[in-house]
Amino acid sequence: MSEVGPPESDPEALLQVRDLCKHFDNESGLLAGVELDDEFPYVSRSTSDVRAVDGVSFDIKQGETLGLVGESGCGKSTLARTVLRLLEPTSGSVYFQGQDLASMSGEPLRRMRKDMQMIFQDPQSSLDPRMKVGPIVEEPMKAHGMLDEEGREARAKELLEKVGLDPQHYNRYPHAFSGGQRQRVNLARALSVNPDFIVCDEPVSALDVSIQAQVLNTMEELQDEFDLTYLFIAHDLSVIRHISDRVAVMYLGEIVELADKEELFENPKHPYTRALLDAIPVPDPRSGGRKALLSGDVPSPIDPPSGCRFRTRCPSVIQPDEYDMTDEAWRNVVEFQRAVERRAFEETDPDALRDRYFDDATPGGDAGTLLDEAFGHIERDEWDAAEQLLVERFADQSVCATANPAYEVGSELGDDRHYAACHLRRDEAVAAAVDGTAFDDAARSRPEADD
Amino acid sequence: MSEPLLSVRDLKTQFFTEDGTVRAVDGISFDVHEGEIVGLVGESGAGKSVATSSILRLVDSPGEIVGGEIEFKGETIFGLEADDDGELRPRDEMLTENEMRKRIRGREIAIIFQDPMESLNPVFTVGGQLREFIEINRDLDPDEAKEEAIDMLREVGIPAPESRYDEYPHQFSGGMRQRVLIAMALACQPDLIIADEPTTALDVTVEGEILEMVTELQEKYDTSFIWVTHDMSVVAEICDRVNVMYLGEIIEQAEVDDLFYDTKHPYTSALLDSMPRPDRTVDELRPIEGVMPEAIDPPAGCRFHSRCPEAREVCREVHPEPRDLSEEGEPRHAAACVKHDAFDVGYDESPPIDTRAGGGFSAGLTETGGEAE
Repeated sequence: MSEVGPPESDPEALLQVRDLCKHFDNESGLLAGVELDDEFPYVSRSTSDVRAVDGVSFDIKQGETLGLVGESGCGKSTLARTVLRLLEPTSGSVYFQGQDLASMSGEPLRRMRKDMQMIFQDPQSSLDPRMKVGPIVEEPMKAHGMLDEEGREARAKELLEKVGLDPQHYNRYPHAFSGGQRQRVNLARALSVNPDFIVCDEPVSALDVSIQAQVLNTMEELQDEFDLTYLFIAHDLSVIRHISDRVAVMYLGEIVELADKEELFENPKHPYTRALLDAIPVPDPRSGGRKALLSGDVPSPIDPPSGCRFRTRCPSVIQPDEYDMTDEAWRNVVEFQRAVERRAFEETDPDALRDRYFDDATPGGDAGTLLDEAFGHIERDEWDAAEQLLVERFADQSVCATANPAYEVGSELGDDRHYAACHLRRDEAVAAAVDGTAFDDAARSRPEADD
Repeated sequence: MSEPLLSVRDLKTQFFTEDGTVRAVDGISFDVHEGEIVGLVGESGAGKSVATSSILRLVDSPGEIVGGEIEFKGETIFGLEADDDGELRPRDEMLTENEMRKRIRGREIAIIFQDPMESLNPVFTVGGQLREFIEINRDLDPDEAKEEAIDMLREVGIPAPESRYDEYPHQFSGGMRQRVLIAMALACQPDLIIADEPTTALDVTVEGEILEMVTELQEKYDTSFIWVTHDMSVVAEICDRVNVMYLGEIIEQAEVDDLFYDTKHPYTSALLDSMPRPDRTVDELRPIEGVMPEAIDPPAGCRFHSRCPEAREVCREVHPEPRDLSEEGEPRHAAACVKHDAFDVGYDESPPIDTRAGGGFSAGLTETGGEAE
């Protein structure tokens, strides 16, 4: 096997994803993106891509479960499909057992597929209703020329038993099974070619809680028995916490935080992760409900915000250097700017607005002058002008808008790396980098001291 | 306690299919008081949605409400009486279909469904649909209704409501569409809103926002809610009182805090144990064995006995009705499980059933795929 891994190759990693991008054409066809102008050359052509996955890098070690979590529309499923080369990546590479899948094609790629399988969300639509479950489980083996007919049947029955079904159900059709059992058939099918790596795309989200627990337990048992590696996608953080070893949090096509499970849940470093964790309902009436919630919608991936993509909803956007406001005043400015953008109020009287948004802290100096100007626009009903002024002079000036964050910070729990894409972590990251080199030196002086 | 707003007594709804009679709702009773949020919890197939459609008399053939009584604000939504020949027929004071349509549905009792895309018409603008609803139900002229519609959109947190008024449902995100439906439900200021899994299809962040909004609006308008869900976390967050359903029956009924901290029915505890927790790492989940049996042929005795870890022989024979097990002076806490002394059917002496022994693989098997939806 030709070993052409990525530069900083980790020998333990089964799968290494580097700068993976997947963009979709927003329009297609002959006249896609054509616009008419008033002046020469009258016609212009601009293409706008949906940047579903944009520069994602991570490793998955042999035998671990990487949880991938994010809101709907953040690109989780596209990432999963691109990793498996079910979708052609726009750029970047995916190294599976040292080979770059992104540059493979044809027969070699097809043969590689034997080692990578997928389980889909909907157990109903991922099984052919006109095939019996036995042949469904055998089909991948047939495609890869494994065993003879009798051998395949024997293996299919054995697998059905392994996933907790009765081997005698070999001759039943999928409709005779309940949702949880159909998902078990899916598991058996994925296991049939003896893969190393299984991508599970929301495998339990369509199931009832009691059934969910059964399937999750089976998946864990199978992982131990067959030494499987999972990429486990879910939007339910409780499920992710239960099954993962490490967790990656995705927002609008990018990974914003990646760390060990305990570290991520107990010590989240990215405001988005924190917001997601705060938003999970706890099954306990005495927990006091959810804490501060995010406002606003996820921006469009066609034209994502510059810099940190989360900045338009982030509760802790960093104040631009040019102003000198108190933290409270800056927070009020941000809240006011977002309210104007959402047209959340009808009030146009400056004093009333001041009372409502700047009751506890009013910014002075340049910022105060700018705000007065914005109030003036609103009073004259010039909402667009007010919005533009506030966005250009405040939101777009923040370091969150001008620079793309990517920091590696020290872990407090566990000793794995902790990646957080947030500018608030810059100082910590610098400190951790210094520590990290010191640690590396120490580790090198006494090789293989641990274990 | 004051007179309940809605009272359901021994409601039975059945579906007459070729394979037999499906007893989807089998004798449930509960009350909804003014200004409270009552939860209706259960797994899929428990009969939650059939129960709510029965309250609005929206059950279609082959389904039929075959027994029980539904009273709403002193009026009879459903009630039967025996005539001279002993045949059951609707009582005289029962509201006619016309009255239900004109007076009750939408105006007095509104409903919010799980899938907002199916409830909104894709070829009309969101604002137009909301305006029409207000115009018809509140007898306003079109301009007033439009103004009201925009106000309602702002109330439920739709950004820039004037311009979003003219947009189509597909231009709204899932959470926004659900907000529109809530606006629609609230627009006629009904006394009761039935919310049938309204946040199940949404992300947790959006779900959180919507639940918070509902709590605020509920305080403002003093509306009562029946909140149907399968998610115990949502129940914990929003409900005042909870009814837990299993296979067409209510098996536990309690205030929310009692339900979580003084659980009286093994099914409720099993349901709580099988959930992964967001606030701590659980090493192994304890799932409920097997799947819910078919409502067409429910197990004899206690319907949960085939999956119950505490089942004994007596559970096969005795069918328990929910009984109030609370102490004197405490709020009602009813459970339908014979392990409690109040039932006195000899549970303690009865030999345990090994639920796993007879089952093996087939314990989890249903002939027709029970929970398919």
